[in-house]
Amino acid sequence: MSEKGSAFEPRGAEPGSGYSVERALIGEHPTIVKLRALIERVAAAGVTVLITGESGVGKEVVARAIHEISPRRNHAFVPVNCAAIPHELLESEMFGHERGAFTGASAPRHGLFSAADGGTIFLDEIGEMPLGLQVKLLRVLEDGLVRPVGSDHAAKVDARVIAASNNELAAAVEKHTFREDLFYRLGVVPIEIPPLRERRSDIPILAEHCLERIRTRNPGRALSITREAMVSLWSYDWPGNVRELENLIERLAILCDDSAIDTSILPPNLLAETRTPVPRIPTTIGPGGVNLNMLVRDLEGRLINEALKQTGGNKQAAAKLLGLKRTTFSAKFRRCGVIAATPGGGNDES
Amino acid sequence: MDEAIRPPQIMVVDDDPDTVSILARHLQREGFVPVEASSGVECLKLVQEKEVDVILLDLMMPDMDGFHVCKALKNNPDTAEIPIIMITARDDLDARAEGMRLGVSDFLAKPVFRRQLANRVRAQLAAVAVGRHTAETLSRMESKLRK
Repeated sequence: MSEKGSAFEPRGAEPGSGYSVERALIGEHPTIVKLRALIERVAAAGVTVLITGESGVGKEVVARAIHEISPRRNHAFVPVNCAAIPHELLESEMFGHERGAFTGASAPRHGLFSAADGGTIFLDEIGEMPLGLQVKLLRVLEDGLVRPVGSDHAAKVDARVIAASNNELAAAVEKHTFREDLFYRLGVVPIEIPPLRERRSDIPILAEHCLERIRTRNPGRALSITREAMVSLWSYDWPGNVRELENLIERLAILCDDSAIDTSILPPNLLAETRTPVPRIPTTIGPGGVNLNMLVRDLEGRLINEALKQTGGNKQAAAKLLGLKRTTFSAKFRRCGVIAATPGGGNDES
Repeated sequence: MDEAIRPPQIMVVDDDPDTVSILARHLQREGFVPVEASSGVECLKLVQEKEVDVILLDLMMPDMDGFHVCKALKNNPDTAEIPIIMITARDDLDARAEGMRLGVSDFLAKPVFRRQLANRVRAQLAAVAVGRHTAETLSRMESKLRK
């Protein structure tokens, strides 16, 4: 199992026997529920699939899920990271080579396509594939014939192709670094996985699932996350998506001595998201200049909020605290788009 | 009207008219069309009449609080999938926990800043778009299989 896939799947799950898409692709967000339905439909159809989504959303998990519930599940699932293999080696890795095909090719070798015969080959980061190789892949997709480097003979290979890319593939087609015909040939069924920040309601579910996995590994350990910490997890934008969340929980589980993961051990970047995203008031002006109006308004907004907080939402008292006339205060209050906290409610930034 | 060209309609539900008008102005400046509701009852009525894409729902309202509105929206299949962003106090953990249980899509705390509001609303719209693409692909495959 590759490093990338392992972070998402329940360890110890036996592919093929009792494999469940629900356990592999966790979440209850409507987009994920629909995605699971699509995976089940796609798996049986056997068509070529193109999975798109940001780094860490679980593209390999989806590819593997399609394979595991397809009629091909008893054959190999072969993941290939096109970005991780040097361009000059990628062709021989994928299609194999004959003896003497190039310096160092002292013995013939089967490629990854042959290894995936009867099964599925997962071409991750397909956008990184060199143009020359894209032509060859297109041919394989059209006639199912694989020709090893340095060979005159092509062999029939029955491998289902699932490709994946970040969201830049369409742009690569525009820039002519990715072949348009291959783009359409691969994307017979397009599957898009949303980033975690677009389905925040799954954060507690994913976090709990991760804890459960750690508990299973360490029987007797009662690990949990405090509600304060969960609110921080919810508010963070997760640029590294599900993988980042799972890696963080694994790390926090090691860090926390007692049983609950609390805000005190959360990394500062995560807490920074939760607190008010206040831009620093600069004292120097860089070559890019500054937007004075915006900065002034920002400062006004923050102080008005602070004043309202201290006076429990009393505008008259807040105006006095700021040395402003009531009318001036009201005007600024409106312009800054500040909304007073409701009585009894907090006044902090989400 | 075509979904692709119709500007997203965002409903603001709050009993405080100042809050509604400020949020509505924020939304307008970000290119959204605000739909204003001053109570939970009005929200439930308007949501039937207009095509609302995201609902900004205040928790603290007299008569019908945000939780009740949320439950009513989620119990109706026509409105169950409209993302709800609940406006709560940041430190009100009980409210957030209850909101999570009821299927709230996101939370915002007062004061609501325009940039952050826009980011959170856009994230919900993007998720809805992904869900729609997925559903379309699925129905396309199913109709192909029937043929």
